Formats: sequence, C-alpha cells, structure tokens
Amino acid sequence: MSMKAEITITSTIMNRTLIRAAMGSLLLGGFLHFSFAQEFVQDLGNSTIVAEQSTETVLDGLREDEVLKTEKLDRKISTTIAETIKNEPDIAFRSMGPAAARPVIKGLSGSHVVITEDGSFCGDMSATSPDHAVASEVLTAHKLRITRGPQILTQSFATAGGVIQVEHNDITFEIARSQGAPTQSAAVSNTQIHGYITDYAESGQPGFATVVGLNGNIHGLSLKGELSARNMGDMKTPKGSLKNTEIENKSIAVGAAYTFERFKFGASFRTFNSNYGIPGGFIGGHPNGVDIELSKRDLTLRGLYLPAQKSSDTLSVTFRLNQYHHTEYETKEYVGAEFAVNQENVHIEKFIAQSGPFFGIHIGGEFDIRSIEMGGYVFTPPTNSYAASLFSVASLNGWRNGLEITLSARLGGAFIRPRESVVADKDAIEDRNFALWAIAAEFSQRVAPGKFLTLDVFRTTRAPTIEELYNQGPHLAAYTYERGNHKLDAESGYGAELEFRDYGEIINWRAAVHSTWFLNHLAPRATGDTNWSQILPIYQVSGDDALLMGANASIETAAETGFYAQAGASYVCGFYQNENWSDMPQIPPFKFHGEFAYVWTHVRAGINTEFALAQNRLDRYEQRTPGFVTFGASLEFHWSLTLAHYSIVLRGDNLFNADVRNHLSRLKSVMPEKGRNVSILAKAEF
Amino acid sequence: MKKLQFLALAIFSLIFAACGDSNSTSTEQHEHFEVEGWRLYSAEWDTLYSVYRGKEDSKLPGLKVNANCMSAHIHVKFLDENKKEIAGPNDEEHSLGWEVGNKKILDIHFEGGWGFHLKGLKKGETTLILKVKHHDHADAKTPEIKVVVDKALDADKCPFQEDEDDPSTSSGTEHEHEGGNHNHEHDHE
Repeated sequence: MSMKAEITITSTIMNRTLIRAAMGSLLLGGFLHFSFAQEFVQDLGNSTIVAEQSTETVLDGLREDEVLKTEKLDRKISTTIAETIKNEPDIAFRSMGPAAARPVIKGLSGSHVVITEDGSFCGDMSATSPDHAVASEVLTAHKLRITRGPQILTQSFATAGGVIQVEHNDITFEIARSQGAPTQSAAVSNTQIHGYITDYAESGQPGFATVVGLNGNIHGLSLKGELSARNMGDMKTPKGSLKNTEIENKSIAVGAAYTFERFKFGASFRTFNSNYGIPGGFIGGHPNGVDIELSKRDLTLRGLYLPAQKSSDTLSVTFRLNQYHHTEYETKEYVGAEFAVNQENVHIEKFIAQSGPFFGIHIGGEFDIRSIEMGGYVFTPPTNSYAASLFSVASLNGWRNGLEITLSARLGGAFIRPRESVVADKDAIEDRNFALWAIAAEFSQRVAPGKFLTLDVFRTTRAPTIEELYNQGPHLAAYTYERGNHKLDAESGYGAELEFRDYGEIINWRAAVHSTWFLNHLAPRATGDTNWSQILPIYQVSGDDALLMGANASIETAAETGFYAQAGASYVCGFYQNENWSDMPQIPPFKFHGEFAYVWTHVRAGINTEFALAQNRLDRYEQRTPGFVTFGASLEFHWSLTLAHYSIVLRGDNLFNADVRNHLSRLKSVMPEKGRNVSILAKAEF
Repeated sequence: MKKLQFLALAIFSLIFAACGDSNSTSTEQHEHFEVEGWRLYSAEWDTLYSVYRGKEDSKLPGLKVNANCMSAHIHVKFLDENKKEIAGPNDEEHSLGWEVGNKKILDIHFEGGWGFHLKGLKKGETTLILKVKHHDHADAKTPEIKVVVDKALDADKCPFQEDEDDPSTSSGTEHEHEGGNHNHEHDHE
C-alpha cells in the first residue's frame, strides 16, 4: 500500500549529497532517524534513487537527529533538564536557584512550554511559579526531545511554544515479546537483561547524582527497575556560596510490559521526591529563604494494539494517574504554602501509516481531570478542572516535487470549577469554560539536494491557568504578591516560522526566523505597587496584544571523526502593542554557543564558549542584565569491553569564573549563576 | 505461560495499590489579617516607632533599651489602608511573632496579647522584625526595625524594673489589657 516516491538526480556527487542530505544515511553521516532509513532503497551506482515512502516526513526524520540521547545527552547532562538543554536552538531557562529551573522556548515560558514524561504529562506545578522545580530527574532521562512544528498539537494547544519530551522508557515494549507476536525491530532472544549505572558529580554545586537501572525480559514479560539519588550542596558562585540552594532528589521507577498476540500491555509506577532550597536575603523575601519538599507519584498504564492486516497502524491508549504534593517551609515550623494535585489523563491515539494521499497520520483524543487543593499561605481557591480535546496530524506530498506538507489541528475545551474558599473574593469564584482550537501547517520543500526550505504557519492558544484566574495573595517563595483576574479570556495568537536547512558533505547548517502575533498574551507583570502587609512587589496577570519575533541559526561540521566544530545563536524580542511598543518581560537576550572538538574513535576532546549580550529591553520595573562570556573544555572516553559499553565525560564549565547573570533568574540582582564548575559523568551499560 | 500472566497481573495490582493513598493538604487555608502599617507605643502611650506603606517616621525615638535591662511594655497597633489605627486580631489563631537579627544583643519578652518587652543582652545595634503570626505563617510583618541596646546597667539601676507594675496592665485606664488583648482603639493621623 505504501506509495513510491521517485527522486531523480543527475550526478554521482549529487547522488551522494542527496543520500547524506535528504536521507542522512546511517552509513555515511549518521544523522537520519532509523525508522526513516530502514525503508529507504538506494542505488549508489545509478542516477535514480527510489525510496519507499516513510511514515514521517523528511524534516521530521532530520529533526530526530536533534534529539539529545546517548553520547550527545551524556555530554550535556547537568543538574536539571533546563540546564541540560540550554544551548539548543531557541532555548533559555528561567530559574530561582539551581533546582527551580524550567525551559523557555522562543522567549515563552510557563504553560507555553509543556513537559511530558514517556509521552504523558509531567504532573508538577513547575509552570505556575518560578520557585517550583520540574519534578523529573534529568539523569534518568534516556532521551530529551524538543518537539517543534505541527507535531506539538498531539500534546498541547501551545504551538508558539513547544513540548519538551523526557523519555525514561519505563514501559519497555520494545523488548517485551511473545513467540509469534509481530516484531518491529531486530529479533531478540527470549531472555534478555540490560542494565545501566550512571554517576554524576560536580564542583559548582558540590555533590553527586546516581542512577541504577535494570531491564529484564523473560518469555515476553519485560520488567524494569530503576533507582536514582541526587545530593548536592549550596551553589558556588564567583561572589561566594549561594546559601539554601541544596538539592536532594530520589526517584524509584518500576515498569512491566507484556505482549499477548496482537496486544501489548504495560504499566509503570514512578515516584520522585525532592527537597530543595530557594535562597533568601532579598528585600521582601524571607531572610533564610524557603525550603521546598515535593513528591510525585505517577501510575501509567499503556495498551497497544497492532492490527493483523497492518501492524504499523497501531492504536495506543495511555492512562496516567498523578499525585503531586508540594510544601514550602519558611522555617522548620512555618508552612508558607502547600499544594496537593490529583490528576488523571487518558490519551488515545490511532496511527495510520498511509491512507489515500496522507501518510504518518495521528488521530486521537485526550481527556484530563485535575483537582488541586491549597493550604498554608496560598490565596488560590481549591479548583477542579476538566479538559477534553481531539487532535490529528497528517502529512502528504505536495504538488511540487520534493514538497511535503504536514497539517495538524487540535480542538477542545477546558472547564474550570473553583470551589468556595475563605481566601478568595466571593465575586471571583466563578466557573469558567474555554473553547480552544489550534491549527498548524508545515510546508517543507527540498529546494536542492540536501537543502530544505520550510514554512510553518500556526494558530496557538491556551486557557488561563487557575493561578492566572483566581490567585490573590502573596507567594513568599517567589517574593511576589500575585493577583489573578477571573475575567481573563483564553490566550491566542497567529505565527509563522521560516527555516532553511543545508546538509552538505562538510558542514550542515540551519537558520530560522519566527514571529507570533499574540492576542491577549497572558503574563504576570509587575505593577510597581507593593503589598505592605508582606512587603512584597505586586504582580498582576494581564492579557495584552503582543508581538514576539526571533531568529536562530546553527552550524556544525558533518564528519564523524576528526575535527568538529559547532556554533549556534538565538535571539528573540517581544513587544506589547501600545503607544511605545514597550518591551515584554522575561525575554532572554541574544545568546551564542560554540565548540571546537577533535574526535577519535573512542576519545573526544573539545573547548567551548558561551556568551550572552546584555538585556536592555525591559518591561516596567524589570532590571537590566549585563552580558557575559564563559569558556569551557571537555574530554570524553567511550569504549566497549566484554559486552558492556562505558563512557566517561569530564567537563569544565565557566573555567574563568565569570560573573554570569541569567536575565530570567529572580536572583540575578543578588547573586550570579554557577561559577567555575568541573564535572564528571561515568556511565556503564550492559 | 500462565504463571507469567499471573505474575504480570500481580505486578500491575501492586502498582495500583501503591497509588491508593490519598493526596491532600495537611494545612488549611484561612482568612488573613492584612495591614498597611504598624505603630509601637511605650507603656505611657508615647509613640516610639511608626511605619506606613514602608515609610518609617524618622522623627520618632525608635526602640532603645539598656543591656542587662528590660524595657517597659511596648504596645503594638496596626494601620489599615486608610491609615486608621486598628487593634490586632482578637482571636486565638493570631499572635505576635518576632525575629531578632542578633540574638546575642537582644531578646524579646512576651507576655501575651499585642505587646512585648525588649531585653538588652549586650551593647550594640540589631534589628527586629515583628510579625502577625497566623497558624504556621505570618500574615504581616514589619520591615527591619533598628534596635539600639545601650550600655549595661546594674539591675537596680534599670529604668524599668521587672517586678514594677506595668501601666499597660493596670486596671481602670483607657489602655486596658484584657485577656491578653488590648481593648484599645484610637485614631492618629
């Protein structure tokens, strides 16, 4: 049933270039996703290449190479997910101490950026406040993927932002097989054991992190167990130690998967506990900071059906039950804030490899129930919220040779039901319903061998969060007095992104520009007023029309061994529509990252630099942030021995102890970011 | 094979059971006492310190005590959004709290209600933050108030003797101290 695509080229050189560029052959360059390459049929000696149509577009195949995994992930592992991906295109991170760091995409933060774990929501409150950490241990991630383009709509309405996918592989379908069951990858034996141990230590925040995991497969029943721990002290900065920034994380994960004829079933249970500090000593803040204890429990059930007539057309159902508890202690006795979140989510998705002119079709629905209770010094009423949505993504070949089009849509609603509370203004306790829709279209044209021009156009939206609607009080850990607005409408916007990619024999480069016109952009903005009871600055959530624009570019050498160079830069700016087109708050400044390395078969040595310009584009009452330059070096060893693979990554960051201020950090006026930092990651897999 | 299926079922059941505990908050939300300013009076109801919307009145004498001595009773009043003086909450949920910058220099003696005594320990300067405690947290707090602890005096030479009658607690006055709470309200502009 699969459609044949014919690509004709005229010379052997072009032939090779096409193979490297369009298909990214594993043999030559290694930048092509395996699922794309496996169906590719090539003839190096012929001027005609015939490729069997993939289930994903060429662009998605190329994007797959940008996923952080294996050695590429090990090279960048840091304290948090945000810090690990900070040098990816369009990525910055907001922070409030090293633990409370969350990724920002194209200058958009909070609920514009969705974080998922193993394909389902990451149940935490990190999107709601700068002092809330992402409840996920980065060392347990097998892959970190930044979803871009129309695929975002399978998981979120916020196409202007993005989705950070964390893959733990707690349900290991790929090694769960029964005899006679259909297989999708290489054959495996009936009994299989796979284990891994990773240790990480650093001097910038003295401490260690470790993860130990074991996967076993016995006659089709696949089991997984994993333990992780992190214990890190106060962060060292060039100005001294930043007190109350310690982190203590623990996670336990167990998973099981079983295959019965054409059905696969899996379940996993993952706990994550974290105790971390938010520094103090600021005007309006607690002198000794705030200690936060959070715990998260996720139960995930997954089912997969592979039809007999076409096993690629899968139907998957994922259910996740999440419990999240979060307590903020002002001192050992004082509970400043407490949150208890219970959430259930069902995600149903049908994948169709090919239907008519379309391929790689995802159709599905998502249903979500969330209940949140507050205690202590929190001024948001307890609220139940419900959400339902339908989504679809499909690709087709366009009317021009080499043109691929991906269309996607997501329709749904959010229904928010606050409960009466002594802390909330009775007039503000109002049920709210939001109808939401978002669409996206991506046109990717191969303009020449190895060269792709892509245009994305989209409508983005999101419902206000319950904090944005109903909050009315101080948030001590964030050093703010927060005011919501129960009359807020949903945020929406229209945007476009134009990207060019060039995959050559020596270098690969890409550049993109993007722009989004927001209607009713929701953000807390400093009002300049102070709540004198608590002596805290007042932030009010408001909806304003705004224009966000930006660009990013990256370049890297293509060689697998020998000299390697890579550089990337990102810039974004945002304006509110008013008389002066005033600047939006919390927009990261221009940032550059570059690396030179030499790669041997088992060893890689490199030096790198990172710099950011000063941020002088400021919203009202926002403070200017100076620029910085840092230099680093790395040395890696990777080798295999007696059925095991070993990696050691030594890294030195900010070697000259530069005073680095993150514009998106609430602490920037008091202390710089991490100073000189030497880290080591050691990993063994068998 | 059936054993394995049973094992899988058992694992899944165990996972379900592990998620069975309830998840709710252990602390309750409560209405909070909001103020815009604080005013501290001496035992004789002379104003010692006042702050309104973050601005301290620099003409006032401030808080002083000698080392080795206890100050007379200091009354605590609050200012609302109209700068009208109001008394502290008259319930069991709220109480006066404090935070001393240097506990080697200053101590606080608390006798209940909305008042306190300064106790000088060592000559020097330190800071005091007063709070309206409400359960486990503070509804309101002052900025850091400077407290001067003057030279040490012999106990018998201290201006205020601990066994001396505290005028604030004396009966029959306008500034009565009843049941740990002041039934006192007057306007000062």
